[in-house]
Amino acid sequence: MSDLTRRERAQQAQSAAEDDHASRLTRRTMLAGVAATTAIVTVSVDTSSVAQSPISDMEAFTQLSAALTGIPAGKLAPATDSIGLRQDYFNWLNEKEPTAFASLLNIAKTRITENKDTAPQTMIDELRINDNTNFLARSIVLMWYLGSWYSPANLKRLVDEKSSRVPVFVPHTVISPKAYTQGWAWRIAQAHPMGYSDMQFGYWAREPAPIEDFISRTAAKGT
Amino acid sequence: MMADENVDVVIVGSGFAGALIANELAKLGKRVVILEAGDGIPTDINKYMERFYKAAAKVPESPYTPTLFDKDGQFSPEANDPSRMPAGRPTVLTITEDWANPQKSYLVHDKKKDDGQLATPFASTYDRIAGGTSHWLGTCLRFVPADFEMRKRYPNCPKEFVNWPINYNEVERHYRKAEEELGVSADIVEQKYLGITFPPDYRYPMPRIPESLTDRAVRRALQNLKPAETWFLGMSRPPTDIPVRGVPAARNSQPYRNRRACAGNTNCIPICPIQAKYDPTITLNEALNHKSVTMMKNTVAKEVILDGDLRRVTQIDYIDYGTGPTQKTGSIKAKIFVIAANAIETPRLLLMSQNAGRKPEGVANSSGMVGRHLMDHPYYVGWGLLPKEAKPLYPYRGPLITSGIADLCDGPFRNERAAFRVDIGNEGWNFVVAGTGGDPDLTTIDFVNGVNRSGVNPDGNTGEGMFGKNLVDKLNETITRQFRVGFLVEQTPDPDNRVTLSNFRDGLGLPRPKIAYSLSPYTKRGIVAAKQLQDLLFTKMGAKDHTTVLPIDPTLFEEEINGQRVQLNYVGAGHIMGTYRMGPKDKPKESVVDSFQRSHDHDNLYLVGSGTFPTGATANPTLTLAALALRTAEQIAKRV
Repeated sequence: MSDLTRRERAQQAQSAAEDDHASRLTRRTMLAGVAATTAIVTVSVDTSSVAQSPISDMEAFTQLSAALTGIPAGKLAPATDSIGLRQDYFNWLNEKEPTAFASLLNIAKTRITENKDTAPQTMIDELRINDNTNFLARSIVLMWYLGSWYSPANLKRLVDEKSSRVPVFVPHTVISPKAYTQGWAWRIAQAHPMGYSDMQFGYWAREPAPIEDFISRTAAKGT
Repeated sequence: MMADENVDVVIVGSGFAGALIANELAKLGKRVVILEAGDGIPTDINKYMERFYKAAAKVPESPYTPTLFDKDGQFSPEANDPSRMPAGRPTVLTITEDWANPQKSYLVHDKKKDDGQLATPFASTYDRIAGGTSHWLGTCLRFVPADFEMRKRYPNCPKEFVNWPINYNEVERHYRKAEEELGVSADIVEQKYLGITFPPDYRYPMPRIPESLTDRAVRRALQNLKPAETWFLGMSRPPTDIPVRGVPAARNSQPYRNRRACAGNTNCIPICPIQAKYDPTITLNEALNHKSVTMMKNTVAKEVILDGDLRRVTQIDYIDYGTGPTQKTGSIKAKIFVIAANAIETPRLLLMSQNAGRKPEGVANSSGMVGRHLMDHPYYVGWGLLPKEAKPLYPYRGPLITSGIADLCDGPFRNERAAFRVDIGNEGWNFVVAGTGGDPDLTTIDFVNGVNRSGVNPDGNTGEGMFGKNLVDKLNETITRQFRVGFLVEQTPDPDNRVTLSNFRDGLGLPRPKIAYSLSPYTKRGIVAAKQLQDLLFTKMGAKDHTTVLPIDPTLFEEEINGQRVQLNYVGAGHIMGTYRMGPKDKPKESVVDSFQRSHDHDNLYLVGSGTFPTGATANPTLTLAALALRTAEQIAKRV
């Protein structure tokens, strides 16, 4: 058997293994998505002040997330979202910080209703006024960026102790394996989560694609 | 279980050395039983990956079992209570203020050594699991010829340095064999330095791994130096050009033996998600595919038993804690015994083997050298940031390390100070700021939350924080300009750096290892020179130095450099060496094994792994220990 044939066979075996991995992963993610959708039924958010708002809680959360993270809403939660992190994060926030989260959603809805174009900035200006919303907003950015939960209370403590000689260690929880692999901080660095990459042999010897390819354009595969 | 009398060789431990020897013997049809203290090989690595992704602390042990974590991915002190674990192991998560607390740390650290010196943490860890050190980086450097001859070439180095009983030329053939088995990618022309030679027709199994953008930036910075800038290195001539070379690695640069080429997941430590990096489960599986080889998992060897005149090993007694509802004890006989349990667990087993008082000093220990000369490569790391005007380096891409500086690891300076080798990291500040949460987390939080623990946000240390596009731009500008370098320093083989038995027990009632350890002045002088090279490199790169030593760091020490007090520290390289050193057969009082790693005391007992290294050099030990294991396998095969 020639070397070439052997290599081709190896490559075939390799791509078969990848397909298998991909299909397993997709199935797993889909199952997780279904579970999350079911869970939403049990969650309620106090939206009385904007009860007539045509903007749903989820839509408000998406717009708020986009404003806070600087990542377009269509990237955070694409129309066909097989990953479903938006739902996971929405549920997580409702469970951990229901009051402050409701306040944040209200701010978002009010500002979007008022003026969609200026909303990204006006909602930030408003949420900054109050510690409860200000620190939860930071936790939300860190969720999307790192896939981890850094609680508002811990972030506030970090600010209170910012002159400490020994840097303060902030505990955190990785929200899920999936959340880690989808962290946007890595993409903002034009890289990939450590241990999770779809790039190919040797890519590291070249400069990466422009940052827009990672965080705003539709084709977000880094090469 | 096959009948005892049918076993040719019993091997304790299934890591690099154990798996390689088992497989060589299996190919020849020898009957082998492996005792593995930990869990077996899983059917796939998905569980390892999920555990790693979910882990709050992504330390080297994080994917493996027994798990460090609770269901939320947080370190679980209960699950890791060293007095309850049947096969416990050290973890970097207890190398904190608690490093000497035996309630938390599996290794029981003495705070004082036999020579009266204050002890500091032994900062390396290991796993006890089938395949052993799967969390390695993949580095496959050969030692340079001088590494085998410290005493002969550098008569003024500390008296503890000795020559090996074997030289480079005698190991060379087995280096090649190990490179083939592990699947090493490297360029032969580039690897000829400081006397390293290859046969004329030799090629590495695969071409080299491409270098990263950071590698190139470091190379450019170290060209066209002035002799006055490098005199401190103490080379025979101050270098004016310090080469950056690819690091040979058991990481595929093309498909090799049915495994894929590296896709740059930047996660060699702790786990390659596509197994493009070799790990010993590959060889172990191959060995276990032979009918003549079996492995008993969750089985801890507790004593090596000698015959009536204490000359030969007759059996090994073990505890099987995993396969039934209760622990079972048993024993296994063979013609030849191999202990391949790493340089802490191997001396522990030998010292525990007191044979009902017939051998109070333990097995293979008539020299009294078992457990002495514990070494690591104390690892000094520095990290910097390029200014925003500079071209980015784009870290967090590619294998963790692709290049390094090897040309400075031998020279006349070895009479005065320890040698070092330099690694160039491709993972930004990920690991160097792990004590404060690791990156990208630390830097991201600093900008989002308006604090400055990383040192990159001095103007934003107002508590205000950033959102939106400003945040994206600031993070991109910063993280893409991070880099770090690491210095692996040769350690003096100090007889008082020791593994002994402690009074604290593990979950099987066996005494846990007690460690006494510190760095010698010679080794610290090596770290001082490393720091000076770091300063030169950062100046030439135009980088801002962000290296910090935390005041709570138990490895902190102070030295004077050019009249200034400087705080330095070290972390573990995971390179556990020296505790059953090899030496000439005709001087059995000075060492434990001969160059074939056979015990001076017991004809049918072999002790393998980097515990046999009489000196540690600066190259990662794996390739050398693999070569020595293959050499040992040849001798064993002739005897059974």
